[in-house]
Amino acid sequence: MRNRKAINTNNEDITNILPEECISYILSLTSPADVCRSKLVSPVFRSAADSDTIWGKFLPSDCYDIISNASSSSSSKLLTSSMSKTQLYFHLCKNPIIIDNGTMSFGLDKATGKKCYMLGARRLSISWANTPRYWRWKRVPESRFSEVAELKEVWWLDVKGTIETKILSPNTTYVAYLVYKFSSSRYGFEKKPVDLHVELGESDAGRTFRIFLDPSANIPQFSREREDGWMEVKLGEFFNEHGDDGKATCSLREVDNYTPKKGLIIEGIDIRPKDSR
Amino acid sequence: MSEVDMAVIKPEMMKSYIWLHTADGSIQQVEQEVAMFCPMICHEVIQKGMGSSKNYAISLPQRVNPAMLSLILDYCRFHQVPGRSNKERKSFDEKFIRMDTKRLCELTSAADSLQLKPLVDLTSRALARIIEGKSPEEIREIFHLPDDLTEEEKLEPLKNTTDDPRIRLLNRLYAKKRKELKERQKLKNIEVEEERVDDRSVDDLLSFINGDNGDSKGIKNSKSKKKNRRRKDQQKNTSANEAIKNHNKEPNGLNQVCCSAEVGQTVRAGVGATSNLHDVEDDIFDNKNELDDGDIDDEIDPALKEKIDRYCSYELRKSSKLTVSNEVTMEVEDFARRLNSDWPERMQEILSFGHERKPVHFSLNGNGSLRRYANSEQR
Repeated sequence: MRNRKAINTNNEDITNILPEECISYILSLTSPADVCRSKLVSPVFRSAADSDTIWGKFLPSDCYDIISNASSSSSSKLLTSSMSKTQLYFHLCKNPIIIDNGTMSFGLDKATGKKCYMLGARRLSISWANTPRYWRWKRVPESRFSEVAELKEVWWLDVKGTIETKILSPNTTYVAYLVYKFSSSRYGFEKKPVDLHVELGESDAGRTFRIFLDPSANIPQFSREREDGWMEVKLGEFFNEHGDDGKATCSLREVDNYTPKKGLIIEGIDIRPKDSR
Repeated sequence: MSEVDMAVIKPEMMKSYIWLHTADGSIQQVEQEVAMFCPMICHEVIQKGMGSSKNYAISLPQRVNPAMLSLILDYCRFHQVPGRSNKERKSFDEKFIRMDTKRLCELTSAADSLQLKPLVDLTSRALARIIEGKSPEEIREIFHLPDDLTEEEKLEPLKNTTDDPRIRLLNRLYAKKRKELKERQKLKNIEVEEERVDDRSVDDLLSFINGDNGDSKGIKNSKSKKKNRRRKDQQKNTSANEAIKNHNKEPNGLNQVCCSAEVGQTVRAGVGATSNLHDVEDDIFDNKNELDDGDIDDEIDPALKEKIDRYCSYELRKSSKLTVSNEVTMEVEDFARRLNSDWPERMQEILSFGHERKPVHFSLNGNGSLRRYANSEQR
């Protein structure tokens, strides 16, 4: 264990030259990831990195507007209104808040401060979702939303979600994931692959991937487990430049109509910057 | 102004000058329009009427040495000319900031003290570009900073979300551990000592959790009793600690480890932290500072506490080997898993130092005194 040096008399040391506020200002001109890293440089850097001037800058400019849109019943609204900017930043990175009448969640990507959204199942267009024979809506404690959609049985599987690019962070490549899990009695997804697709605006230039959602032993698994216990599979990605490309549409389909499918539980579609997490 | 000063100014130009002096005592005069570009100087001239003569030279802040002043004045001299295009200014700026990092920092500091915001922005951005994307070691190298974040400081408090009592508790535990380690550093640095340092702190922390939560949760009466007993026994135990330290007794180290082994075992069995364990820890290695934290307001349930126990045991054992990740964001459950897998290795290490081969347990007699008994259970 290293002995702590008494006072640093090294006059090369910038922390003797620059006051902490200046260091904070300099750090605010870097990125959230850089600031977090800089906490490990020296005690002065560590202290300088905790300033509201820094994290206030990294919060999206419309952050407070978005929060005010949160369901007023949610405790997160009360909580966030009493937080400092630093606290709010880190809170939103770990605890997405539910907005827009409970249909969507909003959070931040820690390394970049960019906006992340999850479209709840209720916000998606799921064919036959309102026919109880095919789909069931239920409450599960492990979902952030009040309801998730459970597939009872269907031949025509068509799940689609859209998001306005103007609410996303500019100059960012976003990736869309379907957030789901299987119930114990799943069927059909090991037999037939599903089509995954993301496109921007009206262009129809997006690529379609075809994968098995529930692959058998020697077939590659494209899904992975999330931190919150759900599974996710990448639907595709798109680049948002200025937010003026209209909507991004993300979909999962299996519509050959020969294979019945059941047991898929959908929480929503998660849209976040590429390489986050 | 004196005759001498008048002679300096060319009559046909009739410029006014402002007198400035830097902290080291040197005085100079500067063309008014250049000096007034700095808000701080401007303020002194207008509000206080300073700077009109040598005797009333404006005292510049200490952070402005003559070299920096010269640079700043160059900057002002260029930019205060109204007719320049943006392109020209940008070009000047780019060339201007080409200097070594140390000078950039000095310049930032000086400009900041003179409130010259455009220059502060320019130099700050240059420094930000230097910092971006670099690792902490690289940054330290560039700025000639010593690596004086001790291990305990690298136990970075997790960034707190105010509604997470686990995080608050962990942060407090970190603070405890840091305090702990600071005290230890005052003692001679024996390797064995280090082993015990870890162990002791683990138990302090464990008992800290228990003692403090005994009150708020009121789950187990024994806990509050222990707390009281601990207060009374503080003196006794502290001196016992001293004695132990001085005589460099291994067994205690081992005991600690074994008590924690107990933690590992009970934890694995999924049982909440045993009261036996807490008895042991509270009374052997009590620490005077433990109860200082006044703001215990966490309602921590036993299962959660257990997780934290595991986390702390692991974390503190590993603190000297901790690889510092750029962002300390590990979750409690993760640590528990690691603790379980690393445990055998660690036990081996510690046992190999000891004089005694068998781990020993302390427990309390009815009258509160310590009793040793051999523990046949061994990891």
